[in-house]
Order: sequence, then C-alpha cells, then structure tokens
Amino acid sequence: MKIGLACPYPWDVPGGVQVHVRDLAEALLAAGHEVSVITPVDDEQTLPSYAVDAGRSLPVPYNGSVARLLMGPVSAARVRRWLREHDFDVLHVHEPTAPSVSLLACMLADGPIVATFHTANPRSRVLTAGQRALQPSFEKLRARIAVSEAARRTLVEHLGADAILIPNGVAAARFADARPLPDYDDGRPTVAFLGRIDEPRKGLDVLLAAMPQLTARIDDARLLVAGPGDAAAVRARLDPRLRSRVELLGLVSDADKPRVFASGQVYCAPNTGQESFGIVLLEAMAAGTAVVASDIDAFRRVLDDGHAGRLFDVGDPARLAATLADVLTDPAGAAGLVRRGRVVVEAYDWRTIAERIVGVYQMVSGDRRVSLAST
Amino acid sequence: MTVLVVVVALVVAIATYLTWLARRLDRLAARVSDASGGLITQLVARADAAAQLAECCGLDELAASAARARAGYPALLAGAPLNAAVELAENALSRSLRSVEVAAAGQRFPIELHAVDSGAARVALARQFHNDAVRDQRALAGRRVVRVLHLSGRCPPPGYFEIDDALPLREEPWPRLVEGSVRGADAPGREDRPGHDGPLGHDDRPGLAS
Repeated sequence: MKIGLACPYPWDVPGGVQVHVRDLAEALLAAGHEVSVITPVDDEQTLPSYAVDAGRSLPVPYNGSVARLLMGPVSAARVRRWLREHDFDVLHVHEPTAPSVSLLACMLADGPIVATFHTANPRSRVLTAGQRALQPSFEKLRARIAVSEAARRTLVEHLGADAILIPNGVAAARFADARPLPDYDDGRPTVAFLGRIDEPRKGLDVLLAAMPQLTARIDDARLLVAGPGDAAAVRARLDPRLRSRVELLGLVSDADKPRVFASGQVYCAPNTGQESFGIVLLEAMAAGTAVVASDIDAFRRVLDDGHAGRLFDVGDPARLAATLADVLTDPAGAAGLVRRGRVVVEAYDWRTIAERIVGVYQMVSGDRRVSLAST
Repeated sequence: MTVLVVVVALVVAIATYLTWLARRLDRLAARVSDASGGLITQLVARADAAAQLAECCGLDELAASAARARAGYPALLAGAPLNAAVELAENALSRSLRSVEVAAAGQRFPIELHAVDSGAARVALARQFHNDAVRDQRALAGRRVVRVLHLSGRCPPPGYFEIDDALPLREEPWPRLVEGSVRGADAPGREDRPGHDGPLGHDDRPGLAS
C-alpha cells in the first residue's frame, strides 16, 4: 500500500510520538509498503530518506510541558504538495489534536484517513474548548486508534468517539543484544534511569530520595541516569554522600539507549503520573533488564499486573528503595521478571503491531484514494 | 453604498458557509456509503468462513444460519439498505458461531475456526467504523440550518447497524502470564504463585545470575 504518515512534532526533538512514527514507518517499509512521512524538523539533515520536511516549529507551553507547534501558510502549502505528489491509499495522522502538521493534513485531505491518538489527558481544556472547531476535520477520520486505554478514554470523554486500542510497538530486535556501556560492565549492582532529569513527572526526585535507603542495604549500589536536562542543578541538590553513586550521563544517543538498559540489573521508571504508555518499560524488558516502575495504570498494564516487572506506590521513596533492593539481591527473581518481560515484549514487537495497523488501513481504504479536499 | 457593501459581504459570507456545510455533508455521505460497503464486505467474508467451517465439520445449525445470512447478500451488494431483517440474520449467525459445537469442532479444524474468528473480529471493527460514520453524519444533518434548507437532500438518514457481534471467548490474543488482577494485594512480587513459573530460564546477562 502507499501510506502517508503525518507527525506533529519535530523529528529531531526526542519524544514518544516521533519514535512511534519512525518505528511504524520502518516496520511498514520492512513489510514492503511504500511510506512517506511529513514532519516538522529543526535540522533537515536529520531526516531519513522516507521523510519530508514540513518546516520549523514554534515552542509553546502546553499542558505542563513544552509543545512545539506548526500551523501556517508555508506548512499548509508543503502538506498540500506532499498529498498531491504521493496519491496515497491511506493517510495516517498522529495526534491530530495538536495544532500542527497532522491537523493540517486532516484539514487539507479527503478520503481514507486514519488517526492515532497518543495523549491521555483527563482534563484537557484545549480539547473541550476546541471540540466544535475540530469536528469538521475529525468527521473525516474513518478509523481512530488509541495507543492506550487512557488515551482511548480521553478521546471518548472529549470527542464522544470510540477508538480501537492498538498499543505502541517496541523495536525489540534493536534492544535484544545490547551490551553494557564500557565503563559499567563491572557487575556492580546498578539501577538505570532514562528520561528528562528536570521534568518532575518523570520522577527522578523520587528515585534520588530512595537512594540513601537503597545504599544502606546494598553498599555498592549505583544509579545510572541518562537523559537531557540541567545536570548541574541535579548534582547541586544531591546528598553529598550520594555523589559517588549517582552517575549523570546526560543525553544519550539512540544507539546507546539499549546499552544504558543493559548496564543496569534493574531499570527504574518512578514516573508520578500522566504517562499514557510505558514504551520505555518495554524497551528495557527487550534489553533483558528487570523493571521496577510506579504503580500507574499504563505501567500496570504493560507489566502484566506486576508479573513482568515490580510495581511500587507512586511517589513513595521508601517502597521504591525496598523494591529495588529486593530485585538487586534476588538474582533468580530478577531472572524470572526478565523472562516474563520478554514474553510481554513479543506481543508489542513492531512487526506484530504494524500488521494490526495495516489491517485497519485495509478495512478503510476500499477503492477510494486520498485526495485534496475541495475548499 | 456602505449598506450595499455590507449586504453583499453578508450574502457572500452566508453562501460560503452554506457551500462549506454542503461539502461536509457530501463528504460524510461518501464516508457512510464507503463504511457500509466495507461492513457488507466483512459480513460476506464472515458468513463465507462460517459456511466453510459448517461444511467441513457437518454443523447443521451453523450451516443453516450461514445460508440464511448469505441469502440476503445479493440484495445488499446491489445496494439494499442494512435493515432490521439483515440484523436478525446476522444476530442468528453470531449466536451460532458462539455455540459449544463450533468451539468443539474448532479443535479439529483450527485453521477454519481461526478464519471465522478473524472474520468476526473484522465485522465488529467494520460495524464500529460504520456506526461512527452514521453518528457524525446524523450530528451534522440534525442541525437546524441543514434541516430547514434541506441541505442533506430528501433521502432518509442512514440508520445505525446494531447486531450482537461479541466475539466468542477462546484463548487470549496473547498469552497472559497469570489470571486475574492483583490490585490491592500486599506486595507486587508473586514469584511463588503456582502455575505460571516454570523452571528458571537460562539467562546470559552478566550480573543477574551471579
């Protein structure tokens, strides 16, 4: 099939939606489909051959983090040209509630359009207020996909429309054979963390607060922190006794991400809420690392109610420290978590997920193709 | 002069708005018609798969309800509406597909059973797409300005297609490791629960086995 994917956020800024679109595009290409992606991008050099530049985006604070948006005549012209040149069988827009390329594509196109909704946001003022304005675009959607139960619920509550649940995939093969990073291949008990270090919702502070109790039980325990953000500020806040035990790696490359997981016996996701899906948990499981995560809905689902990874009470450093210590001191138990984690990962492998998404494409495409909407 | 400009601008604005509404209605009509076409395709596929399973297993009840559903398809494919009679026939087929006999026969003919089950899953999806389209169409067609000006033509609005398409309960789509929820249990680690933990797998990652 000829498939057009629209991504709303800049390709070269790290983010879940971008990763989803990239992995989906690559899985579809590997399955023999023709794929073109349109996306904003800051540095055009970073675009792969299957992606098209929609322009530079504008950072705007939204919903507690910074959204990068793009709506304007230049991007509209680019989206229009992209649609005209490709003559797609199906157009798949991602997160069309964000005022960016996906919504533009939705407004400008006609025919078989599928949308995937990523965000779970129980009280979105933008969605509530914008519902009427979005309706003319959203009534073109022939199928809606939600990546999580929470995202589906958000959609039902705000737009009154149901969606098919197809979770995020994980590019399992990319993680499966990861080796630890060179400096961390010494077998010392290590907990790995990956995520923005100055984003409170990612919960690094909870993990740092758990460290004194963890090191009290396991003397040489070490914490490996990978992710962008102000490392100096985190280091300044750190208990001086912990300085030798907490390693701040900063932003790691995509290629090194699997190695970060492999450097830890445990991957910890202490997020304090607002996660719609635990893709990073699946990546850690694919790399063969045991997972300890906060007990939020999305994580509980991915971790099979706590059997493929351990859950602890959200924001509770004492419980976190105890759980981490349990896993680090019980190799057999950890190996069990890893083994069950691999079974979970299989169901989320991108090959499986892309097949399910193509099934949706086939059902909505029929004999009509994507065309430019008459205005 | 000013009055004239204002009046002309107003007329142009109203005409633009109405044209835009009419385009939306056209687009929705096309979506509904595509969706009902897709739904009919999936109904046909499900009934074909059911007839095949019935034939190879000698299931009379399933054969009868499949035959009854298939009898209506030539008319549907020629453009007849998805009406209450179709709903009845499809409901009967859904019920036959959930029967114990079918599940038992599936043990011997897993490929045919799988074809029936995936056909049933696709019917459920196609029905959701269809009813979503109908809902959007009805929402716009129900607006006062559309009704008063007869913008959506004089044909009756398409109806929802309501059948019982609950899927037969067979095995889970992927293996769950343990049945039931553990919410509220004391601790998250349940290593000792019987039934889900085989002999420890060999793990080649350094640090875990030591």
